[in-house]
Amino acid sequence: MAKINLSGLKKYTVMFVLAILMVLFSFTSPYFLTVRNLTNIVTQNTYFIIVAIGLSFVMIGGGIDLSVGYQMSLVGVVTAMLMVVYDVPVWLAVTLGLLLGTILGLLNGLIVSSIKVFPLIATLATSIVFQGISYMISKANTFRSYPDVFLFLTKERFLGMPFDVFLALVLAILVSIVYSETVFGFRLMALGGNEEASRLSGINIRKMKIILYTLCGFFTAIGTMVMISKANTTNSSFGPGTEFIVLTAAIVGGISFMGGEGNIPALIAGVFILAVLGNGMQLAGWGTYAQFVVRGLILLGAVAFDEYQRNTRNARQKRSGPEKLLVKGT
Amino acid sequence: MNTEYAVEMKEICKRFGGVHALKDVNLELRRGEIMGIVGDNGAGKSTLMKILSGAYQADEGEIYIYGEKAVIHNPQDSFNLGISMIYQDLALFNNLDVTKNIFVGRELVRGPFGIFLNKKSMYQKTVNLIRELRVDIKSPKLNVASMSGGQRQMVACARAIAFQSKILIMDEPTAALGVTEANKLLGLIRNLKDMGLSILLITQRIPDVLAIADRVFVLKGGQRQDILEVSRVTLDDVVTMIVKGKAGNGNQIPDVEYRSFG
Repeated sequence: MAKINLSGLKKYTVMFVLAILMVLFSFTSPYFLTVRNLTNIVTQNTYFIIVAIGLSFVMIGGGIDLSVGYQMSLVGVVTAMLMVVYDVPVWLAVTLGLLLGTILGLLNGLIVSSIKVFPLIATLATSIVFQGISYMISKANTFRSYPDVFLFLTKERFLGMPFDVFLALVLAILVSIVYSETVFGFRLMALGGNEEASRLSGINIRKMKIILYTLCGFFTAIGTMVMISKANTTNSSFGPGTEFIVLTAAIVGGISFMGGEGNIPALIAGVFILAVLGNGMQLAGWGTYAQFVVRGLILLGAVAFDEYQRNTRNARQKRSGPEKLLVKGT
Repeated sequence: MNTEYAVEMKEICKRFGGVHALKDVNLELRRGEIMGIVGDNGAGKSTLMKILSGAYQADEGEIYIYGEKAVIHNPQDSFNLGISMIYQDLALFNNLDVTKNIFVGRELVRGPFGIFLNKKSMYQKTVNLIRELRVDIKSPKLNVASMSGGQRQMVACARAIAFQSKILIMDEPTAALGVTEANKLLGLIRNLKDMGLSILLITQRIPDVLAIADRVFVLKGGQRQDILEVSRVTLDDVVTMIVKGKAGNGNQIPDVEYRSFG
């Protein structure tokens, strides 16, 4: 009997759920299915998509990075201060900001791969460290009114969409190709699927992990640029909370909490499911706090679903052959 | 230098903390033979083989492959010497299909700097391998999570063959298989020998060893007891040596009379 590719099936499930949500909300509010509202949903979520793509590297590899929120906070205030306070040219400020984000990711990678602690705890700890540094640097000030060149990224439109939408699209396509066509993407899936077997296959898993967290930091920094350019203001409280949204979106989008699975189209659909829910509830007059409740429940539900799928797969395996005899190639 | 042997391990010692897992173990594997590695639980069978496969490093001792001194620091070194180990525990990649499982870590590549996967070649090579080994796997696109224990062993064998390994180490391949599947697998191992591989077979099932091995290497308490010619020994001889050790080497003889199984 041919076995259906689970991750492929998952991909379409996510799209289907998104479509149903959209139909539902189009009944609750006449404004929901307007071009203006849908455009808003897309443009408001580009930076979530970019950060989620970054996080997907780490999560598919079997890790997690809870510090992306405060990475954004730190990178945001540093970049803004360089532009506004120190009058550094925009290109240089952005380059330094991206470099800083990359270094933060590298730090996470070094910590997770050297000290054998759970990445969940390790990045929670670095998250607090980044928070402290962010407030120490910004002294809790707000920095606004950036140079026009910097605002160009999110204000200038092409085919009716701001540039950052295309930026997100290009990154998504690029990473999609990396995941499905390259040796790196292939080894990433292997690492997330079975770390010990990967090691015995001759994959340098320490190096892989460092690269994954570094990439996450780099993408998070790109997302930060979009976020502060769009808002035209920032302070140390800009960014935190993002980690929760992108984590939920990633799991809803079929990236297994245990690693080894995931694809970009479903991930983006996951981001939009959360976005559509938020937007639809807003239009229906539910307010912000109810959205927190719903988001939390969604995360719980998605993790439970992920776990359920894993269990049924393992059960099937047990029936067809003793699990003890799992084999591993050298 | 002796090139009659595919593998020579000399005076291998390994300690884990205070436990002396291997004491001055010598092993010689001839070219193209199947050698059974037997011993009780904790005798050091897997440890010895993991040293050869690069999963562990020996504290002392030397390894020669085809007469040449070899330095094995990690699994990649071992692989480069033509050695593959198929492990008993842990797993293949359950999230990947047969083709991908075979090629993890040794992908066929194309494009600039070899960054892209050559999926077509990998698929074709897997189809050929399945045919060549005459194994019971319907499609290379099958996820290994859905396979039986025997099929999974065969995927692991295919992985070793795909990369022209000349020395194959198998850790309890038949341990959890049913009779039919175990026999199929033993048949496959014999095929591999005919293809010119030298095979080290760790097992608790002595009858398996007697059925397909040329010689059998007995370990007890981290020490080599003897290498026996399978054609000249009986099941009881082997079992006695596993339990009591080589006569006269000073090992304590257990008080309980041991009855052989099988």
